[in-house]
Amino acid sequence: MTALTITINGRVVGPVDVRDELTMNDFLREHLGMTGTKFGCGAAQCLSCAIIVDNPDGTSHTSPTCVVSAVSFNGQKVRTVEGHAKNGELSALQKAFVDHFAFQCGYCTAGFLNEAQVLLERLAKTPVARTDLEKAVAEALDGHLCRCTGYIKYHEAVRDVILADAPRYLAKA
Amino acid sequence: MRPSRREFVKWVTASGIALSLSRLEAAEEPGFWARQTLPGRQGWNPAATGVGRIDGVAKVTGAKLYASDYRAADLPGWPAKTAHAILVRAPDATHVYTGMDLARLTGALKPTVVVTAADLVRAGTRVPEFYAGDLFCPVGRTPIYLGQPVALLLFEEFDAYDQARLKIRDGGFVRFAEETGAVVMPDFGAFRFTRVAGPTPEAPDVYSPVLAGWVSPGKFQNAERPIWTPLAIETGAAYAKAATYGGQIRTELAADNPNLLMLDREFETQSVDPMFLEPETGLAWFDSRREVLELVLGSQSPYEAAEALAYMLGQARSPFKPAAIKNLFAYMGGGFGGRDHTPFPLYVALAGIFLPGRPVRLAQDRYQQFQGGIKRHAFKMRTRIGVDRTTGKISGFAADHVLDGGGLANFSSSVATVAAVAAIGIYDIPKVDVTTVALHSRGVTAGSMRCYGTLQTITALETIIDEAAAALRLDPIEFRRRNALKTGGKTMTGNTYLDSVRTPEILDKLERHPIWQQRAVHKARGQQGGIAVGTGLACTNKNYGTGADCSLGMVEIDPQGRIAIHGDHTDMGNGIGTALANRVAAHLGGVADAVTVHDIESYAPLALVTSGNPYTMNQATQDAAGKNPRWVPEISSATAASNGAHVGTHAAAEAARVIFRFGLWPAALDLWGIAPTHPTARQWEAARWQDGQLVMPGLAPLPLSRIAAKVYARNGVTGAMAHAFSRWGWSRATFPVGGQTNAGQSWTADIDALAVRKGGGKYARIDRSNVKFPPTDNNRIGTVYSAMCATLMRVEIVRASGALRIAKAYSVLECGKALVPDIVLGQAQGGFAMGVGYTLLEHLPPYEGGPGNGEWNLGRYVVARGSDLPLHDLEIEILPPVRPDEPPKGIAEVVVKPVVPALLNAIFDATGRRFQSLPVTQDMLKGALA
Amino acid sequence: MKSETRFQLLVPAAALTLSLLAGYAASQPASNTLALPESFASVSDTGARSVAMFTELGKVLTHPRCVNCHPAGDSPRQGEVGHLHQPPVTRGVDGHGSVTMRCPICHQKANFEPGRVPGHPEWHLAPRSMAWEGKTLREICEQIKDPARNGNRKVEELIHHIGEDTLVGWAWAPGFGRQPAPGTQKIAGALVAAWVETGAACPAK
Repeated sequence: MTALTITINGRVVGPVDVRDELTMNDFLREHLGMTGTKFGCGAAQCLSCAIIVDNPDGTSHTSPTCVVSAVSFNGQKVRTVEGHAKNGELSALQKAFVDHFAFQCGYCTAGFLNEAQVLLERLAKTPVARTDLEKAVAEALDGHLCRCTGYIKYHEAVRDVILADAPRYLAKA
Repeated sequence: MRPSRREFVKWVTASGIALSLSRLEAAEEPGFWARQTLPGRQGWNPAATGVGRIDGVAKVTGAKLYASDYRAADLPGWPAKTAHAILVRAPDATHVYTGMDLARLTGALKPTVVVTAADLVRAGTRVPEFYAGDLFCPVGRTPIYLGQPVALLLFEEFDAYDQARLKIRDGGFVRFAEETGAVVMPDFGAFRFTRVAGPTPEAPDVYSPVLAGWVSPGKFQNAERPIWTPLAIETGAAYAKAATYGGQIRTELAADNPNLLMLDREFETQSVDPMFLEPETGLAWFDSRREVLELVLGSQSPYEAAEALAYMLGQARSPFKPAAIKNLFAYMGGGFGGRDHTPFPLYVALAGIFLPGRPVRLAQDRYQQFQGGIKRHAFKMRTRIGVDRTTGKISGFAADHVLDGGGLANFSSSVATVAAVAAIGIYDIPKVDVTTVALHSRGVTAGSMRCYGTLQTITALETIIDEAAAALRLDPIEFRRRNALKTGGKTMTGNTYLDSVRTPEILDKLERHPIWQQRAVHKARGQQGGIAVGTGLACTNKNYGTGADCSLGMVEIDPQGRIAIHGDHTDMGNGIGTALANRVAAHLGGVADAVTVHDIESYAPLALVTSGNPYTMNQATQDAAGKNPRWVPEISSATAASNGAHVGTHAAAEAARVIFRFGLWPAALDLWGIAPTHPTARQWEAARWQDGQLVMPGLAPLPLSRIAAKVYARNGVTGAMAHAFSRWGWSRATFPVGGQTNAGQSWTADIDALAVRKGGGKYARIDRSNVKFPPTDNNRIGTVYSAMCATLMRVEIVRASGALRIAKAYSVLECGKALVPDIVLGQAQGGFAMGVGYTLLEHLPPYEGGPGNGEWNLGRYVVARGSDLPLHDLEIEILPPVRPDEPPKGIAEVVVKPVVPALLNAIFDATGRRFQSLPVTQDMLKGALA
Repeated sequence: MKSETRFQLLVPAAALTLSLLAGYAASQPASNTLALPESFASVSDTGARSVAMFTELGKVLTHPRCVNCHPAGDSPRQGEVGHLHQPPVTRGVDGHGSVTMRCPICHQKANFEPGRVPGHPEWHLAPRSMAWEGKTLREICEQIKDPARNGNRKVEELIHHIGEDTLVGWAWAPGFGRQPAPGTQKIAGALVAAWVETGAACPAK
């Protein structure tokens, strides 16, 4: 057992006593009722369960939650899909996913949103050339499985969010 | 301290999380249907301006939508705490099952309740016929299939369940004794389809299934396999006749005829998993005080699930029998047929019944989903085709199909027939003979999966067609053109196609496309270097509809002109909610902002009754039953067979038309000052909606909100609910819809039941004054409606490694009216991906090495990722409808079909090798190029 | 019902080499024991004894638990038949993953049994120079003796690396769903020591 404290979407949760074997996925979904983060395979293969972890150095990365313990996130700051919209206003990615019809059943969507958000934040720090954009998007998203869409509209949505704010994300020509 | 659920919910709301959560009042959870009615009136409706789906906002904000999202605490009125269940499955089907090693689960890990076969006997449950087979394998028997459930373990505490599942996941928890070998069971169905055309296209057929009826072979006593030859005593005269014609066709094919090109090929396909991302999950609460069983489920066939549950518990003994069952059907994280008619809801209900008073969650993990979920049938096919060398016309076709149905019958018999009837694809062949049999095996159960057996048979067909064209030195497109079935031609079962047949148009598109035009240049490029390049194509069709499709729909308009829709079809990603909203908008001028799908219960005012089996009843029975104005051949059907757009939106569209004709139109006339006797009053069909306003030539446009207010003011029709039934054609009935301006008016439409509501009043049923159901003979047709899709593909294969890349691809399809073009496009892209996975990547070994052993997950089962697909090089073209009012077709399946044979034909072009089995792996390609 | 076939390795070393490497993907599971150095005492010729002990060690070196992270390319393998690691990952710049998929995100400090994911604080891919996949025992032998390719180690240091390094040691406690390497790390270390003592001879093939 460990006394667990995590900051989720800006709010401190805990300290809460949890078993060391409790997965982060079950902590979010069973204990907190935050079912926006999904369970797809339990083997880190589909990344429907992925959330954003904010690193102390200001960068961020995604992590699956199904194969790692909740206590391994002790003291960390994480973001889930429920935290993307602010005061009812959808994020640029959320709006793009909607208006591009990027998803169908929507079960993988939270994972894609988190991954794309991390990509945006990485590009904002380290922009890429326009000619490398499609490759950067593909590399970022390839870990995420989708069975409905064939991925194309997800890629277009993420690419278009980046292109809509090129000065922020793309290297100067 | 752990925050209470309610405390957490409060501060989550305050932090500005998702819109749907923000509707939470202080301590009140929104009800289930409030969460499932989208987008809901508080938020943005992207569908209103065509910039997104009805469920778009809910899905990007992580709203609770799926069955797996729900816990007891999310449902008002339920006890707050959720218990958890494990469905234990047998990883062996060749030894006697002797029980479980429950000694592993002691102390805190001990389950509160263990439910086994003996408990079901005690409780008096029944197995619905569709799922015939022990729900739990009894001790002392050999399981009839790998993965057959043996027990439910129910845990009151999540922690106990979480720890227990680690202790029992190795193969040793379920115990076995002596080896018996696999249990032998009869096959699930065998059929023969034979057609001999008349001497000219206009002449009647000499013999066909439509004329003679469908036939099945007899069996030797005590044998598993059917007898295909016409031995009169064992097989019956009807079969003997078909078999005699069929035998003649085969003799002709085998004859030594120099003018006939005859190809005889075998093709084998593999078992695959639908691999929808959300594993099957459900929640059950048996409130023993009220004797009500409440369930949260995700199912493509909600009505069937409800009926199966009622049957299972219908004669149970007290205290296992509920007085009522309340089903809450949720959005699904994918389906593809794998959530249609599955036994999973039965186990969810059992979990609830055996832990009364406590909500129980049954959730499969992915190992369990692979082990117990419905699969696509593995087919073994032998195909023979005869082509006249002079004319290039196919003169004869014979095929034999053997399906591995796995442990339970499920849809195997039906899949076999649909696959057989689709075996000649888009072609017009005067002599056809196809036998098919679906076998039981100890493998995992196969059932409905996207394309329903036709993906397998079309792959065998379109590759042999390609080979025939090459052997005759005919252009593959020209060969297809010469043999394509024309409008008005007869299909394999001998019926005439009623739908638009757009084969010539589609073949022209393929021919003119740059991928086809440039194939020689690219192939030559490949011959010089380390890659082999090839181009291939395939042209396919898929029927949509099942031959007993139902649609239930309810539409309402409020005084402000806001529209609500209810429908019984389901959303597994197919976007039925948005399609409903768009189709209704065409009639009512506004896009609904409250759409409730998976709703099978809101239509009580229709007071529908049904009896018999719509697939097998005879005409006299149907005529007699139909005299009861409330009788319909079936009440509600599954969302399957691409019937979403064509069927799923039909009743709602008809209900909307009634609201327009008897509510909005008279109100508009009133606003325009036009008397009901004036000629313009009859011209409702000339009215058009434009930007939310009703437009009639020469009259001022009226905004919907103004008309709606007027409808209420004059107590006109503000709501309608309808039922429709299609057996390859809609029922049609006449209803005496009265009203102040339309006294004595009757309304005839493609529905068979109707109820309307005036103003803010209650629904009143309007009994039909007459009805014409589609004839029962239509059951012989097999398929009347179809949609077409063709694919062109260029592949590049690295010689040294066999790695294949799809360089460019083009799919062209026709779907009648596309209700939501972006969703049709998305289906085509997703179908392409599924076809690629099926051809190159996905494989489940049969039996002990396969998923029935409980050890399969995504690491071993590979589905297509973005890097496997031509993300920027896939062009999809959707042809416009043949006429502006062409109804929508269903295309969710046809978009997968051409991908597989096109890929195989491209691989042949690149490597010179025709593969005869799936998947074609990188190693196999490397070997072919070595 | 899987029976563990235990069979004596009576075949000569050379044939054993081939069968071991071919058997990597074959259906018959190899013996899961490791012979102690003492059991080779009957081989009187020192060179032959050295080769025999290395060949025995070869059962560990060519076992999936080892080869999966000593792959020929840039992606690890997985499971008992060496299928490509899913989700697809690459070694990246430092062998610890690409920018978007760092190994420690999933592979944490220890095996996580509920997720069936192996773990160790130093989880990463062996460098390209240490790739064993597809190589003969002789090639592997020469490679692990070559300081240019073995991380600049003297042969004696291999005793510690194979016998005591905890990442190597993971192979014998890999967690649920994975076959452990044959024998124990202690025996493997003893075999290395005895092999070194007898001149660290390499098999002919």
